[in-house]
Amino acid sequence: MLKVNQLDKTYGQDKHSLKSVSFTAQPGEVTAIIGPSGAGKTTILRSVNQLIRDDGGQILLDDQDIRQANKAELRKIRHHIGMIFQNYNLISPLTALENVLHGRLGAKSTLAGMFGLYSTAEKTEALALLTEVGLKDYAYQRCDQLSGGQQQRVGIARALMQHPKMILCDEPIASLDPKSTKIVMDILRQLAREKQLIILINLHQIDIAMDYADHIVGINDGAIVFEGPTEQVNEAVLQKIYRQSADAKVKVAANES
Amino acid sequence: MIENSSSEPKIVKPKVPNTERISLMTKPRLILRSVLAVLGLVTIYSLVTIDMAGLKLKDAFHSLGLNLNAMFLHPNVGQDSWSVLLRGLSTSIALTLLTTLLGAVIAFFIAVFSARNLSPTWVANTLKAVMAFIRSIPTIIWVLIYSAVMGLGANAAVVGLTFHSIAYLVKAYSESIEETPQATIEALKASGVRFWPIIFQAILPSIVPALLSWTFIRFEINFANAVAVGAAAGADDIGYYLFMASGFYFDFHEVGLIVYLLLGFAIILELISMRLRGHYLKSN
Repeated sequence: MLKVNQLDKTYGQDKHSLKSVSFTAQPGEVTAIIGPSGAGKTTILRSVNQLIRDDGGQILLDDQDIRQANKAELRKIRHHIGMIFQNYNLISPLTALENVLHGRLGAKSTLAGMFGLYSTAEKTEALALLTEVGLKDYAYQRCDQLSGGQQQRVGIARALMQHPKMILCDEPIASLDPKSTKIVMDILRQLAREKQLIILINLHQIDIAMDYADHIVGINDGAIVFEGPTEQVNEAVLQKIYRQSADAKVKVAANES
Repeated sequence: MIENSSSEPKIVKPKVPNTERISLMTKPRLILRSVLAVLGLVTIYSLVTIDMAGLKLKDAFHSLGLNLNAMFLHPNVGQDSWSVLLRGLSTSIALTLLTTLLGAVIAFFIAVFSARNLSPTWVANTLKAVMAFIRSIPTIIWVLIYSAVMGLGANAAVVGLTFHSIAYLVKAYSESIEETPQATIEALKASGVRFWPIIFQAILPSIVPALLSWTFIRFEINFANAVAVGAAAGADDIGYYLFMASGFYFDFHEVGLIVYLLLGFAIILELISMRLRGHYLKSN
């Protein structure tokens, strides 16, 4: 279980600050963080694995506080947190298989990592994961020759290669077409159910969040304004989450139709 | 409902500009033009006042023609033998290979620490400043400096050439490293990967084409330098024979032959580099 307690963050001039953010995310569930642009969605997600250093609070993953970890411990914790990105962030001249194998680098010694020495078991597992996300035939393709949706699936396989407890998804579908969006979101939900992973997603598409998330965290201007099961999200809640933001009315309107 | 927040756009008529004088002559442009004008004047002045020292243009061109004829139409081995010259050429090539490879490996590690996206700014800037200083002094001077320390010969040539290659390649490599997107580095950092594995597994594969082409350019530069250095530091390579033939024996036939040898090798280099890049880009 991921438990975030009273997380605070201030960037210089109060920009994108987090104000005492608290929420929980359960294994086996898809938790979506929604809110207007600039509300702090990405800051929250990146604080969870400490890519961004926050100013105060607690981040408990299975009762271990990530914020208290020293450098070596943090690396170990990070190894068990997968992350996928809006722009996939794969190493594009390498093959899909090599990118998936990168998920094991965190568990290796410096030398084995430098030279990319992988065991047969690891290679077999990587290929199996690629098969699982439906990319077996693309294992030896360079990643920059894959479509966006395929690259994102390679990203998911790379995250799974880490044997994660949790996968953080930073706007995973923002650059994808509807069909790829569905494939990627289906995979993520399935992973939560079957492998009992914590899936924490930043989304700006409300309809996708409503369709796929079990648990919604609504954020506005750095503060949590709603947390609860997706069924409880209604018009009033959405108004609260998107209030006073330029694109709020457009999004609510799009959601209604 | 999608509401249009702004009301009807108003059409504002642009004000007719005052009839003040509009000048396109900005300050940098003015400076550039005055510099060019001064340079032009200096050139004309020196051409007019040049001391011909009794030069007879017709005779001069005639003997130039004779020399070129001797060099390029009647090349031969002169004082030395084919085997000596070819050994000299292979010494030059070996010198080039050794210094470029040594330089490339050492430069890569220094480049990692002088790339701003990987190292603290002060480390990166200090290293870059040192490298810029080394680069600003020509290779041949470094070889002479090392000759003073180590004595004339191949050792000084190797160290001097490598030294300058490192400084040159560090600049090229670190700039390539700085161009790799921060996001891909972050992705591996987020999964708990250590520093050196990130360098070798993420950054290196992304910049291989750039590294290849920079290293090859340096290889060519080093070959030209190796020839020049051979003469200066007495490294017993083709440059030394070129120097002796042209400066001591005035054997222009041999000079011509050596120039042809160098040219041939340069063409081979160019072909290899084209193949290598073509192959690399295709297979990836």
